[in-house]
Order: sequence, then C-alpha cells, then structure tokens
Amino acid sequence: MKRIHPDTRIGLLVALPFVAFISLFLLYPTVAIVFSAFTPGGDYSVAGLGRALSGSYRQGFINSTALAGTTAVIGGIIGLTLAAVMRTLQRPRWLHSTLDSWSAVASQLGGVPLAFAFIAAIGTQGLLTKLFNQVGININDFGVSPTGFWGLVVVYLYFQIPLMFLVSLPALNGLRPTWREAAALMGASGARYWLRVGIPILTPAALGGMLLLFVNSFAAYATAYVLNPGGALVPLQIRFLLQGNVISGEEDLGYAIVTWVITLLLASLFLLTFLQRRTLRWTRS
Amino acid sequence: MKTFLKWAFLVALAAFFIVPLLAMARFAFQSVPVILLTPETALQGWSIDPIIAAAQEPQMWAASRTSVLLAAFTILLTLLLLIPLAIVTEIKAPHLRPLLTALTLLPWVVPPIALVVGVAVTFRTGAPWFLASVFSLVPFYALWAMPFTYRALDAGLQAINARTLYEAARSMGAPFATIVMRVILPNMTASIVAAAALTTALVLGEFAFASLLLKETLPTFMVNFQQSQARAGLALALVVLLLTAVAISVVVRALRRRGLSVQTTGL
Repeated sequence: MKRIHPDTRIGLLVALPFVAFISLFLLYPTVAIVFSAFTPGGDYSVAGLGRALSGSYRQGFINSTALAGTTAVIGGIIGLTLAAVMRTLQRPRWLHSTLDSWSAVASQLGGVPLAFAFIAAIGTQGLLTKLFNQVGININDFGVSPTGFWGLVVVYLYFQIPLMFLVSLPALNGLRPTWREAAALMGASGARYWLRVGIPILTPAALGGMLLLFVNSFAAYATAYVLNPGGALVPLQIRFLLQGNVISGEEDLGYAIVTWVITLLLASLFLLTFLQRRTLRWTRS
Repeated sequence: MKTFLKWAFLVALAAFFIVPLLAMARFAFQSVPVILLTPETALQGWSIDPIIAAAQEPQMWAASRTSVLLAAFTILLTLLLLIPLAIVTEIKAPHLRPLLTALTLLPWVVPPIALVVGVAVTFRTGAPWFLASVFSLVPFYALWAMPFTYRALDAGLQAINARTLYEAARSMGAPFATIVMRVILPNMTASIVAAAALTTALVLGEFAFASLLLKETLPTFMVNFQQSQARAGLALALVVLLLTAVAISVVVRALRRRGLSVQTTGL
C-alpha cells in the first residue's frame, strides 16, 4: 500500500468536513432549485425561466435592482467618506470603538428593529413626518414614506453605510502615509493627491465594496417585509410564491426566479473577487 | 474650515443613525399620540411600562433563549469547520488561500430567501425529520457566517505571521499539534472574538429563513408580538438592538485594552 504523506492526510482531515458541509447544506439545495427551474412539470423547458422575467416579476427585478443599485452607490460613497474622515481623526478614541461596534451591529442586526424605527420616524404617524409638516413640507410627496422608493432607500442606507464603512477600512489603511508625503514633496496639493493617487488606488476596493452592498440589499428581506409585505420586490415575490405553493405550477415559477437571483448574485461576486485581486496588488505589505 | 466640514459630516450622519432610534423610543415609551405632540406635551406620558409588558411575556424569554442558543451553536460549528481549515491552509498550502477565499464567499450567492426555497424542495420533502427542531437552522446560519468568519481568521493568521511562528516552533522540535494549540490558537483570540460578535449579530437579526420555515426565534417573535402589542413590540426591538450593540462594544473595548486590534471587517 502506498503511504499517504502526513501533510496530505492532515489536509484531507480538515478539508473533508468542510466540503461535505458545503455540499449538503449549500450545493445540494441550490442544485435542486436550478434543476427544478429547468424541468417545470418534469420535462426540460426554459419556459419557466422566461416567465420569471415577464409581467409583474420583471417589474420586481427592475425595482429590486434599482433599489439595490441606488443604495449601493449612495451608501458606498457615504460609507467610504466616513471611513476616510475617521482615519484622519485621532482624538476622541471612544468614537472609533463605538463606531466599529455600532457598524457591526447595524450592518447585520438591521432587519426587524430597523423597520420599526423608520415606521416611528417617517411613517404616516412618524415623528419626522410630523416635524416636517410643521414647517409645511410633506415628505411623503418626495416618495419618502416607509413604502415609497426613496423611503426604502433611506431605510436601507441605515445598514449599507455601516457595511461600507467596515469594508473600506482595510483598503484605506493600505494607503501609505509615505505616498502622501511624497506627493506633497513634489508639490501636489491635497486635492491633487486624492485625484491622482488616492482615488485611482481606492477605486477597485470602492467598486468591490459597492458590489457587496448591492448583493446585500438585493437579498434583504426582513426590512422590506415588515414595511410592506406586498411590495413588488423580488424577495417578497419569492415568499409569496413559496407560501402559495399549493397551487400547482406556481412553485416552478419560484424556482425560476430564485435561479435568476442566484445567477445575478454569482456574477456580482465573480466581479467582486476580480476587483479584490486588483485591490490586493496595492494593499499587500 | 476642513475640520468644520468633517465634524458637520459626522454630526449629520450621527443624526441619521440616532433620530430613528429616538422616534422609536418616543413611540414605545411615551403614550402621547404624535398629533398632540407639542413642546408642552413633550415631557408628558413617559413610562417604562411597555418594556415591562414585553418582559412579562413568557414567549419572549423562550424565543430569546432559542436565539441565544442558536448563536452559540452557530459560532461553535463555524469555528470548528473553519479554524483547522484556515490554519492548515496558511501553514501547509498557502497557494490555496485565494481558492478558499472564493469558496467561503459562495454562501452569499444563495441568500436566506433563496436557500429556503431549495430547502423546501430537498429537506422538507426528503428528510422532514431534520427540520422538526428549531436547531436545524444552525448549519444554515453557519453557512452565512462563513464569509466573514474565514476572512477574520485569515486576517488574524496574516497579522501574527503564522507561517514564521510555525517554522520557528518547528525548528525547536515542537510537534504540529503543540504548535497549533500553544502558539497559533492563543494568538488568534481577537479574530475569533470578532467573528463570534458578527455571527451573534447575524443570528439575532436573521428573519427570512426562520420565518419561512415557521421557527420561532427572537426576530420572528418580535414581528408577531409587535402586531398584537405595538408599543411593547417597539420597546422590545429597541432594547434588543441597543443591548447587542453595547455587548459587542464592551467586548471590542476589552480586547483593545489588552492591545489586540479587532477587525470586524466583512471582507
């Protein structure tokens, strides 16, 4: 019998449980969905996949993409700016640890409590709605209500900004102070340094962060469900189809929609990994 | 001027984060309707009765217990799967790190709302006994905790130069297991705690998967409870949010005081 190298043995010992775990709980259900999407009613057909992108479901994809895209860009810019500002501030040390922990909580825990908070703030009986009414502005006219598009954008920014803040910290720390000093020595102003050095180096990381934000909000369910369970967003439509799966044929539509979602997210994360490689070129020490 | 702009930005952002929480607190703890709210009535009708009402709900304690146990089991499972893998990859096969980074990102391709559909076609029909217990959520929560857990562990290994430490210990004759247990693991406390904190926040906040599999966890309880008792529901949600934030911040600060920097980064 051929002897197995001890390194190979230890490699197998740690890799096998991981591979088995991923296969059983992630790949098996995912493959089952994709397989079902291509075989509606038992025969191979792409009709279901076509139907999932038509009518109200097409609108769902458009709405979800618009919401995720808008919050990714706005949240990305604000989150990155926050990280850049925090990096220049040394003094209130409590602010750093408070912001770090708060961001961890706000970016993950969001969901249900967040929706409640915004109903209390910008709902029809909300505190801010009332305050703005006092000065003669009806914020609902601008689509800022918990069910309107801009209202949802505002609510989603509450978890998107902290997430971007967390994600962009390492990239910003990769900008070495010596570069700035070198630029200053050669007579570049602060603005010129950012335009020529800072922003070009940060761009891949910033785009990567925004893609992550896009993925994060495209799939967000809890907040949207609590605010408006009947909204025309993809995650809410999936829930509707899943709960109404007594009607035959409708579950196939659910599989088709989920297949499209998985495809979209997979493409985004591919791009994200590519951008991260570009980022690593500069942040590697 | 520059400093002023910076602080104006920070204050505006702080207001964005704090005002909704204040509105929530006002609605939960003050019984004056928003229509009747004027400077004169602003201080009237405050009481902590709503949170007492929530605390007297036995189901709330049951759901909290479930969620805390879920978080503990999820942390345990993710760490058991990923710590050995991260250490062995870094020491023995560092060229496989990019592959592992990409693989651990996969769970984010199939978010809860998508995977729950897959679970309905596979486990619910093929192995319904598996979904009977609320703890069947643990492996799925462990999946979604993997991306940031692996990154935190990997960042920790890079920061302590694990490979150099390993070679140094090796040259002094220490066996593999001893090196891992006595040199590498003790140096990874900060990343393990950071990963655990993020996992806790994830499990305490996850709603889609639990709700669609009809499991009662803290978030699903909160939604149902808020529909029957609006103000007590809001009070409970606020307390849960703030308690989690304070708990994580205490842990982060305790680690900082010991000189360990905590990277709570997702990527």
